Amino acid sequence: MARTNEQYVIEAFSLTKIFSDWWGRSRVVAVDNLELKVRNNQVFGLLGPNGSGKTTVLKMLLGLLHPTKGRAFVLGGDCKDPRISSQIGFLPEESYLYPYLNARETLDFYGRLFGLNSKVRKARIDVLLDMVGLAGMSNRPIGTFSKGMARRIGLAQALINDPKLLILDEPTSGLDPIGTRQIKDLIVELARRGKTVLLSSHLLADAEEVCDTVAILYGGLVQREGKIEELLEEKDKTQITTSVLTERAIEQIKRIVEKDGGQIDVKPPMQKLESYFIDIVRKAQQAKKPTSGAVNRLDVTDAQRAAAMSDVIDKLVSAKVESPKVENTEKLSVVETEKTGTDFSVISQLTQQPLKMPEPVEPVKSEEIITQQEIKKNILDELTKSEENKDE
Amino acid sequence: MNRVWAVAKNSFVSAMRMKTAIVFMLLLIVLLPVMSLTATGDGTVKGRIQSFLSYGLGLTALLLSILTIVVSCHTLSADIKNKRIYSVVTKPIRRFEIVLGKVLGVVLLDVLLLLVFSSVIYVLALQMPRFVKTTDEELALLDNEFFTARTALKGKYDYEMITARAQQAFKNLQDTGQLDENKNKQAVLKELTEAARYSMFSAEPGGTVIWEFENVKPLDPNDSLYVRFKFNASQVPPDELFYGVWYVGDYRQMKNGQETMKTPIYAVPRKDVSKTIREFQVPAQAVAEDGYLAVLFFNEPENNSTIIFSEEDGLEVLYKAGNFSENYVRAVLVIFSRLIFFAVLGVSLTTWLGFPVAILFCFVVFFTGVINGFITTSFDFIGANLALFYSFTIKPIIWLLPKFDENYNINKYIVDARLINTGFLAMALISLAVKSLILLFAGFIIFAKRELAKVIV
Ligand SMILES: Nc1ncnc2c1ncn2[C@@H]1O[C@H](COP(=O)(O)OP(=O)(O)OP(=O)(O)O)[C@@H](O)[C@H]1O
Ligand SMILES: [Mg+2]
Repeated sequence: MARTNEQYVIEAFSLTKIFSDWWGRSRVVAVDNLELKVRNNQVFGLLGPNGSGKTTVLKMLLGLLHPTKGRAFVLGGDCKDPRISSQIGFLPEESYLYPYLNARETLDFYGRLFGLNSKVRKARIDVLLDMVGLAGMSNRPIGTFSKGMARRIGLAQALINDPKLLILDEPTSGLDPIGTRQIKDLIVELARRGKTVLLSSHLLADAEEVCDTVAILYGGLVQREGKIEELLEEKDKTQITTSVLTERAIEQIKRIVEKDGGQIDVKPPMQKLESYFIDIVRKAQQAKKPTSGAVNRLDVTDAQRAAAMSDVIDKLVSAKVESPKVENTEKLSVVETEKTGTDFSVISQLTQQPLKMPEPVEPVKSEEIITQQEIKKNILDELTKSEENKDE
Repeated sequence: MNRVWAVAKNSFVSAMRMKTAIVFMLLLIVLLPVMSLTATGDGTVKGRIQSFLSYGLGLTALLLSILTIVVSCHTLSADIKNKRIYSVVTKPIRRFEIVLGKVLGVVLLDVLLLLVFSSVIYVLALQMPRFVKTTDEELALLDNEFFTARTALKGKYDYEMITARAQQAFKNLQDTGQLDENKNKQAVLKELTEAARYSMFSAEPGGTVIWEFENVKPLDPNDSLYVRFKFNASQVPPDELFYGVWYVGDYRQMKNGQETMKTPIYAVPRKDVSKTIREFQVPAQAVAEDGYLAVLFFNEPENNSTIIFSEEDGLEVLYKAGNFSENYVRAVLVIFSRLIFFAVLGVSLTTWLGFPVAILFCFVVFFTGVINGFITTSFDFIGANLALFYSFTIKPIIWLLPKFDENYNINKYIVDARLINTGFLAMALISLAVKSLILLFAGFIIFAKRELAKVIV
């Protein structure tokens, strides 16, 4: 039964899922002959538009759905085998938790399902509650938690058994920037400790940051798969990032490039994977590939997209834009930021593996762009800090 | 086992925190004491306690059954519907352990509630004589006729004698030439058998009826035997009272002459009204060494009326064969086994069905259990025409249904202070256990195969 190929943590062979209704009608091809191989210690991202089959793939891997065709092996076997499921941590799409249990009881329940003894349970629960920042509310029923708070408990639940393989369905959905940052740091750190992570996500920036390999799904098919650096390396283009330039400077650069016989397109910086992702999805749509998921209009240029969106908003929102949109998304400036590091001692407590003291966190690129989000994050940092003080 | 326990505890906590159980508990906590004060029955102390126990135990069984059905249908189906089951089945727990845990959680709830309420009823019932003024006589009566557990024996038919009598009568008709030539011989014989059967337990003025019993084993020979009877009469006299003499003892001795008598035969003259259950006692010494006992009724000629005892509840002989507490525990055990059955039924059904359908189904099963006798008889009636089809389709299904009526109405045992036989108890428990196990395994299989993330709208 057990597969021998140790190299792969997850293997799926022509995995197919066709949904039909009770009468066997209305077929939806959610996943179509998917081949998936996740190597040990990889952080693998499943990307794709809504309804492209990401969740369905994960559910099949976990035995929540039976594949119509094909087979999946997780950790070399069947995930229904308790020996295998005891090494998996799973965070479902939404945090489906027992509303009447409080945070501690919830984690205790899942810990019991893993057969952890009470001492281990208690220790891990304390650490996890602390890590997800809910230690102070461990006695409130989960039903009263906000979406993001529940999500944090969901994440803690997925980590209670020190899993070898972590399967996360949209881990950052519903989380605030700090939570998002934490999860990203956590994933990176877990990967450094030899864990394997399979995640699905929409948040491309996040995926780009943590994943080493991604697969882009559309209509249940993998459209492209590979190492992120390889995918994003565009051989026939050069990218120059600068601070905000004056019109005159841009004109000058244009002239220089044109003189050199090249082409230039000036636009504010965008996450690279984003454009890549949209490109893939657009191509798939243009090729009229079938999908059972959401189909959006994807315009080629940013200007077209912005205009189209503005049209829609015009129709939806009665208030018109008064003053011309102001700057800051386009503003580039150079700042020094300090990365909020994960509390490594926490992770070491959770993973049992001896901690080789991490090399100091990757030196921050000296020039980093402050996006609105980051500004917000810093503010939030301050806010939550002061709130914590208030609580005490 | 640890994991099963975790699931059980979770479903128990869910029932407690979602207030379903609390509502039922409050209802009982309020109703039981009120009933112990207001129950009157036929006005006597015994009647009061009888009606309190009957309603109290009945209400507890009913409410707990309903609670069990609601909780067991809810606990698993809600987890599936709200997708909480996703993060449970993906843990190292077998699917059957989840089903088992859910059942166990409901059973746990039942154990707790049943323990509490049956104890409350027990204590209240024992204390009830103190609430009202009770004479010593009444107390003695209570001890003898209520706070006890008696075995009840029914007179058995002597089929040989009935057929012999019928054949004799048939021969008489033939000999005297009164036999109607147009009638089917078989039909005539059948009629005559019926008549013989009827006459076995009826006495013309000056005539007698005799019931014979074997295996009469009173706990203590110095105790009493209780003869309980009810009769109809062809004619009712002005004072509505019928005179008769009852003889209780080893009737076989009469044939051998008075001198050799080893055990006494008691004669009890009585006057009673018809159509009412009456009871009298005689010393248990009347029973022969080998457990034989006969009861003979002599219909006084001055009654001028034939006295007819019905086959079912015409006459019973009761004697103390156990004590009240033990019998009460047995009754509670029977109720408990029913609750387990419903816990299994509800959870097993929801491995496959949604909450509304499952709960509807459970209630149908519950109420067919209450009128099982009626259903079985009516199907037996229909089934006579479709014998083969019937015995392979509907009959097994009916067999699977639990029975709460007729002999299985345990309430009646307690009210009548009648011993729930060890054999009967074992049969009742085993049959429910077998049924529950069948359902449980069906649930295991279905749940193990089920695609839990599949949404059916
Ligand atoms: N139980 C189901 N029954 C029928 N169709 C389903 C079912 N589950 C999913 N689908 C269909 O399968 C397709 C893929 O769904 P899936 O949930 O895997 O998408 P997804 O990539 O996770 O999307 P999202 O980003 O919105 O989470 C969709 O068209 C969806 O409608
Ligand atoms: Mg999804």
